[in-house]
This record gives sequence, C-alpha cells and structure tokens, in this order.
Amino acid sequence: MSRRLIRALLVLLTLTVALIGGVAIGETSIEPSVVLQVLANKLWGAGYVLDPIDEGIVWNYRLTRALVAAACGAGLATCGVILQSLLRNPLADPYLLGISAGASTGAVMVALLGVGAGAISLSAGAFAGAVTAFVLVILLARVSGSASGTGQIILAGIAGSQLFNALTAFLITRSASSEQARGIMFWLLGNLGGVRWPSVWLAVPVAVLGLVVCLWHRRALDAFTFGADSAASLGIPVRRVQILLIGCAALVTAVMVSIVGSIGFVGLVIPHAARLLLGTGHARLLPASALGGAVFLIAADVLSRTLIKGQVIPVGVITALVGAPVFALILVGRRSAR
Amino acid sequence: MLLPRLATLLTSLSLCALAQAAPTAYPLTVENCGSSLTFQHAPARTVTIGQAGTEMLYALGLGDKVVGTSLWFNDVLGTYKAQNDRIERLADNEPSFEAVIGKRPELVAVELEWMVGPQGAVGTREQFHELKIPTYLLPSDCEAKDNLVGADGTRLAPFRIDSIYKGVSQLAAIFDVQARGEQLNQQLKASLAQSIATAKNQQRKDVSALVWFSSAEMDIEPFVAGHKGVPDFMLSTLGVRNIVESDEEWPTVGWETIAKANPTFLVIARMDRRRFPADDYQKKLAFLRSDPVTRNMDAVKHNRIIILDAMAMQASLRTFDGLAQLATAINGYDLSQ
Repeated sequence: MSRRLIRALLVLLTLTVALIGGVAIGETSIEPSVVLQVLANKLWGAGYVLDPIDEGIVWNYRLTRALVAAACGAGLATCGVILQSLLRNPLADPYLLGISAGASTGAVMVALLGVGAGAISLSAGAFAGAVTAFVLVILLARVSGSASGTGQIILAGIAGSQLFNALTAFLITRSASSEQARGIMFWLLGNLGGVRWPSVWLAVPVAVLGLVVCLWHRRALDAFTFGADSAASLGIPVRRVQILLIGCAALVTAVMVSIVGSIGFVGLVIPHAARLLLGTGHARLLPASALGGAVFLIAADVLSRTLIKGQVIPVGVITALVGAPVFALILVGRRSAR
Repeated sequence: MLLPRLATLLTSLSLCALAQAAPTAYPLTVENCGSSLTFQHAPARTVTIGQAGTEMLYALGLGDKVVGTSLWFNDVLGTYKAQNDRIERLADNEPSFEAVIGKRPELVAVELEWMVGPQGAVGTREQFHELKIPTYLLPSDCEAKDNLVGADGTRLAPFRIDSIYKGVSQLAAIFDVQARGEQLNQQLKASLAQSIATAKNQQRKDVSALVWFSSAEMDIEPFVAGHKGVPDFMLSTLGVRNIVESDEEWPTVGWETIAKANPTFLVIARMDRRRFPADDYQKKLAFLRSDPVTRNMDAVKHNRIIILDAMAMQASLRTFDGLAQLATAINGYDLSQ
C-alpha cells in the first residue's frame, strides 16, 4: 500500500515539475520569479503587482498549453496501449482507425469548401470528420469481419485512411490557395497555439476518463495479450470489451485531434518505451504510458516554441524528430542490459 | 477618401502629361518577368487574373478592352462598378485554362505569378504562349521575389514601390495610352508624397506596428506581415517599425511574442473572403478586446487599431489609398503620454 502511495506521489511530482517547466519556458523570456509570482497570485491570491501582459501569458497561454499538451500526450499514449494490446499488433497507433485522415478531411472541408460558412471551426470539422471515418472503418470491419476480426479492423483502417487522405489531397489540389493550404497543413501537423482554458476543460477530463476506463479493464487487457480466444476462455466478454475499448480510444483520439491536430509518434512509441522499461502488465503499463506521453508532449511543445526564435515549429515534427532517437536509445539500451 | 484629391490632381496634371508622352511604336517588345513579349498592335481583348491588374486597366481607361476578369479579393472600387458590371466575371477565384482561352484574349494580365508560373494554377506561361497569347505579369510579384520558395513566395529584397509604377507604364505602352499612364503614375507619386508628409507630423519617433491579415483558427498564431512585403513597405515609408522580423511574406507569429513586443498600433485586414473565422475584421476586433493577454496591449487599451482593406496590402493602386489612410491615422494619434 505504502509503495503504491509513493509511486502515485512520484507520478504527481514528475507531472508538476514538467508542467512548471512548460510554463516557465516560452517564445519570449519571462523571469522565473515572475512566473512563480503569477502562479502564486492565481492559485492562492498572493496579490503581487505584475505586468498584466506577463500575467496573461503565463496563466492563459503557457499554462493552458502545458495542461493540454499533458492531456493529449497522456490520452494518445493510453489509446496506443489499448489498441496495441487489443489488436495484438505492435504497429497499431491511435490513428490506425482512420481518425487522423478523417479529421484532415473534415478540417479541409471547413476551410476550403466553406462548409458551415465560417460558423463551424476547424476543430468541429475535424471532430466530425474523425468520427465519420471511424464509423465507416468499423462498419467495413464488421461487414467483412470474421469472429475475432482484429486483422479485419487493421485492414479496414488502412482502406479508410487511404480513402480520406486521397479526399484531402483532392480537395487541396482542387481549391486551395497556397496560404490556406499552409494554414491547414500547419494545423494538421499539430499545433498548441490556439489552446485556451475551454480546451483544457475538454482535454483533461477526456484524458482522465479514458485512462480510468482502460484501468478498469486492465485485467481484460492483460488477457488479450494472449489473443481473443484465450481471453474468451478466461471468461471475458470479448466482443463487449473490444467494442467499448476501441470506441473509447477512437473518441479520445478524435477529441485530441480536433483540439491540436494530428500529433504523431506519441501514441505509437511511448507505449513501446513503457513496455520495454516496465513489462506488459497493464496495471503499471497504462499509468506509466500516460505519464510518459504527458511529459514527452510538454517537452516537445517547449522545444517547438524555442528551437527557432520568433517562429513556432509544428509540434508533430518535433515529436518524431526528438522521439525517434530517444526511442532508438531505449531499444539499444535494453539489448545491452539483457 | 483619396479619390476627390486624385481627381483634382488629375485635372491639374493632365495637360503637361499629355504633352510629354509619345505614342507607342509597334511592333513593341516588352521584357516581363523572364519572358520577352512582342505586340504587333494594341490588344483589343484582354482577360485579367487578379484584381490589382483589373483595376489598374480600369484606371488607365482600358475597361472596354477587358473581356473577362477573375480572382477577386474584394468588391471592385466604387468608381469602376458600372464599368465592371458590363464585363464577364470568369471566376471568383482562379479561372480554368479553357475559360481564359475561350475568350480568345490577345493579352492575359496576371497579378500573381503562381497563377501562371512553372506550377501555374491556371496554366503555365508556356501553355499560353504556345497559343500565341502573351501573358503579362505585374512586376510587383516577380521582381526580386522567388515564387518557388515558401508558401506565398519569398522576397529576395524588400518590396519597391517602383514596381507598381513600372507595371502602369508597361501596360500603358502595350495599349498605346502612354499619356494616361504617365498621368496615373504622377498622381500615385503625388499621393505617396502627401502621405509621407502627413505621417511626418507625428512627433513621436519610435512608433511600431503589427499587421494582422488572418488566422487559421481564432486563437491560433496569426498570419502577419513579414519584413519585406508590401505592408512592411507601407509602414517603413511612414516611419513606422514592423515588430515582425521574418522575411517570409506572411509568417505566423505567436501572440506571446506580439504581446511582449507591444506595438504602438495594430493594423487589421478587412476582406470579403470568409474561409477562416478571423477573415472577419469584427471577429479580429472581438478577439483583441477579449483575449486576456491582447486586451492589455497598449494599442488595444488606447484603441489604436486601424482597419485596412486587404487589397491595399497587396501591390496595387489601393496600396496608395492604404498609405493615405495609415498616414492620417498615425498623425491623429496622441502619443505624447
């Protein structure tokens, strides 16, 4: 019990340190003391007199960004874990189900075709596109599927993704001026610049809820590691768990994509890194992946804002650029440790 | 607002201008953005791609030589509305290649190179030239600008206003209306001088600004005017520093950076396009006044926000109207505190 408590405290501490790091570092330089004073003002009403612009930047721009980055990282990594376990495929990631491709199509339809005439935002379009694509993929998998159907889901996902990617490319070549295409591509590659408090109130509960649902099914997930048949022989309602968890992953991913665009790499690699370090038991794997995803995405976002002065690099570029070598190190490190 | 002043200038300058210009001697060869164009006579049928070129031809009194227009950003200037209503609009955005050649034009006047450049959105210049249809590109979009690098092209050197005068003179020569061209350029130069003089009345020296065009999402990093484009030229001509230092035409810069730079005033674009919510200047204003950070910027607190026609931010005759509007606004600000 006490060991578990210590572990939980450690997780919270790591997360807090990462968040403070995310708040302290930004596009412009703000004194660390000012940053702490802002936090003291807002959290405990300390009443320091500060420049309102500094105060706004720290509290409304940077903190919301760091919180959403944490929620997205945690959410995507959790989804990655459950999809890899349920489908028993190491290449499964949250975008496998056609979600990012559908989100792109939705966003492009809003921005280029003027669907909704300015009343619907890119985010809403992306969410609608993501859900549509997911529903199509699952329908295809069901129609073509055998009893267990994991292979079918992957193949249906590939077909769906290809279709929606082609649609996006078609729409862009058909009707985009370069400025618009750039705006959309920039957004699709992942961007946390438009994040404010409403995004936090959406992203954080969704990420937490996703994690709780998955933790609730941790034993079922453990059983699925040995295949759907063995899970069934252990008395697990295979169909129900599959539908619930895949639906949950799709929803979490769709929400994240609609807030920040499709940030790659986190959902694919963080679960593997966690598995390499901690083994395959989901009771530890799920929280570890969530924490790893959160810290990783906060760090990637900080890098994306500071790597080139006065310019923001899409965070999705950073996650792969930094993440791939880090993952390679873990792979090699594990081998030499064996 | 500038038009009455232009009209007076026009009458005063017309006589001497008429005396100076000689008629065009055909065949006329014009070097234009890497192509050599030869005209045996003044084109009788012209198709335009881009509003700047369209309005330039109208200003030269050549409306009856235009048989089709395309790529509109805003409504046509009020003075040319009657003229413009008589001419077919081939497309609101870029027209198809066949829509253009279907008009059997003797000249295609193009505002932006990416419409007819090597990866032409309408068709390449070679495709047009094979059909013996010359394409004239406004020099403002090709001189010292590489349109194959960067999303909206990259300026190799700061924009020069001379490229607009050059476009006017060359079009006037092609159509044998040199006197009219000369006269128009005189008006533009006089208008520019007037704007500079107006802005000089502002006593404070270290005045800075940001030009916000639009944003892909309301709260996201906005598209703002870079360091070498037309808006930057407008600011620096009036003695104002652009807080953005990127060389890209329309870079994205974070609000954190903008708020910390705290410019003296803000320029926001007004346009008819409605593809992003931030295309609407009312939404831009609402954002600036409600965002917890931007509402504390000096320019927002003191309501120093100028709403400028998006067409004025492109190299066009409206650039001069924009300069006059900016100059008047800058002169009107009390920056003594």
